[in-house]
Amino acid sequence: MKNHAPANPLEILAYIISAQIKDNTIVYVGTGLPMVAGILARKTHAPNITMVYESGGQDPIQGGMPWSVGGPFTWRKSPVVMEMAYSFGQCYNGYVDIAFLGFAQVDMYGNVNTHMIGNDFHQPKARLTGSGGNNDLTSLSQNMVLVGLQTPEKFPEKVDFITSVGHLRGGNTRKEAGLPGNGPIAVISQCGVFDFEPKTKRMRVKTLHPGMTLDIAQMCTGFELLKPQGEIPLTPMPSSDIIEILRTEVDPGGVFTSLPQA
Amino acid sequence: MGVFDYSREALDNLKIDDPGILDRLVDFEHARAVHLKKDRSKRDKRISLKEAVAEFVQDGDVVLDTGFGYVRTCIQSHFEIMRQGKKDLQMIGAPNTNQSYMIVTGSVRYSHNSYTGAEMRGTDRNYTRQLKTGKVRILSEWSHGGIAQGLKAAQLGSPGVLSKQMLGSDIVKYNPYLKVIHNPLKKEPDPSLFIPALYPDVTFIHVQAADKFGNAYIYGPTVNDLAGAAASRKVIITAEEIVPEMDIRLNKKGSIIPFFYADAVVELPYGALPGSMPGYYYWPRQWWEKLMRFSAINEENIGTFLDEWIFGTKNQIEFLEKLGGAKWMIEARRQTKAAEGDNEDIDFSYQEYTVNNDPGIFY
Repeated sequence: MKNHAPANPLEILAYIISAQIKDNTIVYVGTGLPMVAGILARKTHAPNITMVYESGGQDPIQGGMPWSVGGPFTWRKSPVVMEMAYSFGQCYNGYVDIAFLGFAQVDMYGNVNTHMIGNDFHQPKARLTGSGGNNDLTSLSQNMVLVGLQTPEKFPEKVDFITSVGHLRGGNTRKEAGLPGNGPIAVISQCGVFDFEPKTKRMRVKTLHPGMTLDIAQMCTGFELLKPQGEIPLTPMPSSDIIEILRTEVDPGGVFTSLPQA
Repeated sequence: MGVFDYSREALDNLKIDDPGILDRLVDFEHARAVHLKKDRSKRDKRISLKEAVAEFVQDGDVVLDTGFGYVRTCIQSHFEIMRQGKKDLQMIGAPNTNQSYMIVTGSVRYSHNSYTGAEMRGTDRNYTRQLKTGKVRILSEWSHGGIAQGLKAAQLGSPGVLSKQMLGSDIVKYNPYLKVIHNPLKKEPDPSLFIPALYPDVTFIHVQAADKFGNAYIYGPTVNDLAGAAASRKVIITAEEIVPEMDIRLNKKGSIIPFFYADAVVELPYGALPGSMPGYYYWPRQWWEKLMRFSAINEENIGTFLDEWIFGTKNQIEFLEKLGGAKWMIEARRQTKAAEGDNEDIDFSYQEYTVNNDPGIFY
């Protein structure tokens, strides 16, 4: 066995995301870590997944890492590239099993903000990208997984703008708003993996990454995290084989999985 | 009084006190009348980009951004719109990444927003600043899929579609065009979002090949362009290559925009620069990194950048020279061919632009 440097936090995230992907499913991925994770899943435990991108690219045969959800690697040798309206329609019609996207803020009910930071739409502290496909995927996908860094500002009790409805105000409110699917089923951060308590739909700790404690995770959160019954399990970490695949085959340039140099 | 019953809440939230400004985008009767009056003759529609912009873009028009951000987007046409000093345009697209710099010089004044930014290369600080100083007004917020459905509704020949997107979100509160209604066939309440058919005024679509009549062939993601061509009042096809009609008829199996939508055809090699063009060229990554990381951060930087790259060039040929000319062309073609599937052994690593390290090259 080769001697590897331990996985860095981005590599760990990529691995945890990939672990959410089951074989023989259709996976809708956004740019960045979700793409890395999808390709890692395909090269490890889920070789038969179909990856779908916002460009409409279906089942590309991988070359390098896509630099944009419209870039050639998202439709490389694809048998078909769907028009945008159809590629989201495929989520509504039940031909996407799981989708992965990032966020600027996520609240206790899994509602996502990628619009703005601040309370005044016309004078925001920062204007962000807007929805892009975030709303479409979060609204329509059977299962949504949100991926991002965890700080109290990024995990507020209430997001500054609801770009995408997760579980809205909890309970049955997502369904009452008319939305299909399960909505967010997991949030993955550098602290742990979170799910949503089935009745209240509030965010709950599922697993914590090694070295992380509930207190630290709570300090990184702007609302009270629910805890599961009993001891909180540790998130499984990537084996050295998987780290090797990640570094040599999936993202050899470290485009998405190397930490920024100081 | 206008004929449209816009969402009051959204008008208030967006501080729109002149809702008539919203009408063009959804005025089906007007768009249909314009379409009916178009000259159907199969004639040589080739003109220069300068002529096309001068003739077909009026101040205040609703412009649809096409392609996908920096993939097959008609960016050189945008630049010509800026060079000619067109004003007060409304811009819509999914994404409309390219509206941001057009705001700086006043070409774009109104935004129908679904996405601005450059994905992994960063959020768009220029757009934030333009918004805060009131140089751009957002007329409606959208998701990508919502705009796609609005344009598709127009192509389908329908007043609109019922969607399950955007329900319950704040986007609905900031979009005067959207209405939550119930699916009339369901016994139980079933909230659905009515998205009206969207009819832009003018749309430039950059394609790989077109004939002189305007039959236009697209390879790679078509995104919203087939629908946009069907919906838009005025359509200008710009093409990497002009080919004989028989080449389209016999060889170009795939996505075709039919000639009767097209008002003009422009032979415009490298018309997607500084974006990428499937089959033709990869993108100059450092250009976008410089735009996002250095130029967008204050008015002075962006002004200098636009002066250098847009107002300091006359056309796409001069732009190409600045990127590196023949050397750039060769590299960019090799890279796109490799990215799309041939020539497997090409290395995509490159010297990134950072504020402290400007490699001075664009491939």
